[in-house]
Amino acid sequence: MTSEEIIEKVKSDQGEDIQSAEVNLGDAVLFVAPGAVHKVLGYLKNDSDLNFDYLSHITGADYLNEERDPRFEVVYEFHSMDKNHSIRVRVGLEEEDPTVPTVSDLWRGALYPERELFDMFGFKVTGHPNLIRLIMPEEWGGHPLLKDYPLTIEDIAFSHNRELKQDLVKSKPPTR
Amino acid sequence: MSVTEQGLLEREKDSMTLNMGPQHPSTHGVFRIVLEMDGEVVDDAEPHIGFLHTGIEKTSEAKRYAHVIPMTDRLDYLSPPSNNLAFCLTAEKLLQTEIPERANYLRVIMCELARMASHLVWLATHALDIGAMTVFLYCWRERERILDLNEEISGVRMMTSYIRLGGVAKDATPGWLQGVRKFIDYLPAKIDEYERLLTNNPIWIDRTQGIGIMSREEAINWSMSGPVLRASGVDFDLRKQRPYSGYENFDFAVPLGKNGDIYDRYLVRVAEMRESRNIVEQALKKLPTGPYKVDDNKISLPNRNTLKSSMEALIHHFKLVSEGISVPKGETYVPVEGPRGEVGFYIISDGSNVPSRVKLRAPSFMAIPGMCAMMEGCFIADVVGIIGSIDIVMGEVDR
Repeated sequence: MTSEEIIEKVKSDQGEDIQSAEVNLGDAVLFVAPGAVHKVLGYLKNDSDLNFDYLSHITGADYLNEERDPRFEVVYEFHSMDKNHSIRVRVGLEEEDPTVPTVSDLWRGALYPERELFDMFGFKVTGHPNLIRLIMPEEWGGHPLLKDYPLTIEDIAFSHNRELKQDLVKSKPPTR
Repeated sequence: MSVTEQGLLEREKDSMTLNMGPQHPSTHGVFRIVLEMDGEVVDDAEPHIGFLHTGIEKTSEAKRYAHVIPMTDRLDYLSPPSNNLAFCLTAEKLLQTEIPERANYLRVIMCELARMASHLVWLATHALDIGAMTVFLYCWRERERILDLNEEISGVRMMTSYIRLGGVAKDATPGWLQGVRKFIDYLPAKIDEYERLLTNNPIWIDRTQGIGIMSREEAINWSMSGPVLRASGVDFDLRKQRPYSGYENFDFAVPLGKNGDIYDRYLVRVAEMRESRNIVEQALKKLPTGPYKVDDNKISLPNRNTLKSSMEALIHHFKLVSEGISVPKGETYVPVEGPRGEVGFYIISDGSNVPSRVKLRAPSFMAIPGMCAMMEGCFIADVVGIIGSIDIVMGEVDR
C-alpha cells in the first residue's frame, strides 16, 4: 500500500482514536494521544491489510527549544515484512506526566528501546516488566537526552564549580 | 559474625550465576552477560550494556551536520560507509537534494566493500571463537586489501567519512578503480578457500547446526534484522524492498536460510559476500562519468580552483566552512541495509545548522534481547557461538 492509502485506511477505521494523520516527505505519519497508543498500535499490528509486524525503532524527542506543547514526543516506526510498507506513529507527551503504555506485549523487540526511553528521557513506560536504566550506570542522576541536561560539564561534585554547574543546569544548552 | 552465621553460604536456588565479560574476548567489545546456569545449561541470560557509551547522540545535538558524519563512523566501526550513507540520505531527504549518478555508484561501491570487510571480520572472529584459527588469519589478510583501498580513496583506513552530504569526498581515480577490480577478481577464490575449510567441516557443523535457532515469527517479533532475519527465512533486504542510492539498477540475489540456526547465518553471510562482489563488479562496469557531488554550493564545497577566480564561490566556501548547511525544519527516517541489518537515522531538524535530535537505529542494539532469548536452554559452550553469529558491534549498541 502507498502511504496515502495507509493514511486513508487508518483514518476510516480508527478515526476517533487518532489526532491527525499526514504524509510527510513520502512517509505515512500518525499522531496519537498517549491514552490511545496501545489500542491503535494493536490495530496496526493485527489488521490483515496493514500487518505491521516489525518494530523498527522507538525513540524520544524533546522539543524544549521550540517551545511547543506538548514538550515531549515518542516516535514509533513500523514495517510490514510481507506488505513492504512503513508507518511512523508520533505520540505527544505532557511535561508534567510523560507516560506511555508498553508495547512489548505486541512486539517483544520493544523491551530495550522502551528501557532506553526511560534511561535517556525519563519517560515512564507503564506495564514494562523491567524498567531500569539500560545504558547509563544505575546510580546516574538525570536523563542525558533531555534538552535541559547540559552537554558541556560532567555531573561530578567539585567544590570549585558547584555554582557554575547549577547555573548551567538552569540555562538552556549552548547552541552554535 | 562468621560467614555461615550471615547465611552467605546458604544458596537459595540450585543454580549458579556466572558472569561473562565485559572483557571476555568472544563478546567482541565490552559486553557483559550474566548467565544463570543449571549445570551446563543456560537458564537465563541477562545482558548488561553501556560500557562503551560515548554520548554520540547527545554530542550530535551540538555539532553541525557535516561534523556529525565523522562521529557516525565510530558507531558501527567495522563498516563506517553504511553509517555515513544512512545519515547523509536522511539529511538529503530533508534537504530534498538529487545526488548525481556517479556519486551514487561510488557510494554503492564503498558500502559493498565495507560489507565484505565487515563480513570478513565477522567470519574471522566467529571462527576463532569456535576454534578455527586458520580462517581468522586468512580473513584478516583479505580485509587488509579493502583497508588499503579505503586509505587510497579517503586517506583513512577505517574511519573513512568518505560519503558526505551531497555526494562523496573525492572522485575515484582510474588507479583506484583498477585496484578495486583487482580485489574483486582476487576475492572469489579466497571465499572458496574459507568454504573448503568450514562448510563441510564436521567439527564446524557440530558446533553450529541446530544451535541458536530462531524461527521466522520470533525473528520478526524480536526486531532482528539483516543476515539474522534472512537466515530465519524472512525475505527482507532494504536494498531490494526499498531501493536507495540506485540499488534497483543492480542484479543481485538475496540469500535466505531455512532453519535460522548459526550454520544458516554463516551460509547467508558467506553468500552475501559473493553477492556484494557481484554488485561491485556491475558498478565498476556501469560507472558513469560526471560530477561526484551536487552542483549546489549551499550543500557541497565549491571546487578549489574556482576560489581564485569566482567571488561567489569564495563566499559560498566561507559560509559553508564557518556556518555549515541549514537543513529545513522537519523530521524523517531513512533506513539502509548495513552489514548487520537495518541502519537508519531519525533526524529532527529545527531549521538551523545544528540537528535538534539525531537517533541511530542500530541493528546490534535491537538484536541483543533476541540474542539472549536464543541462549536460554542451550549449553554454555554454545553461548560464544550464538554471540558470534549475531555479529554485534558494541560501538553502535552503546552509542
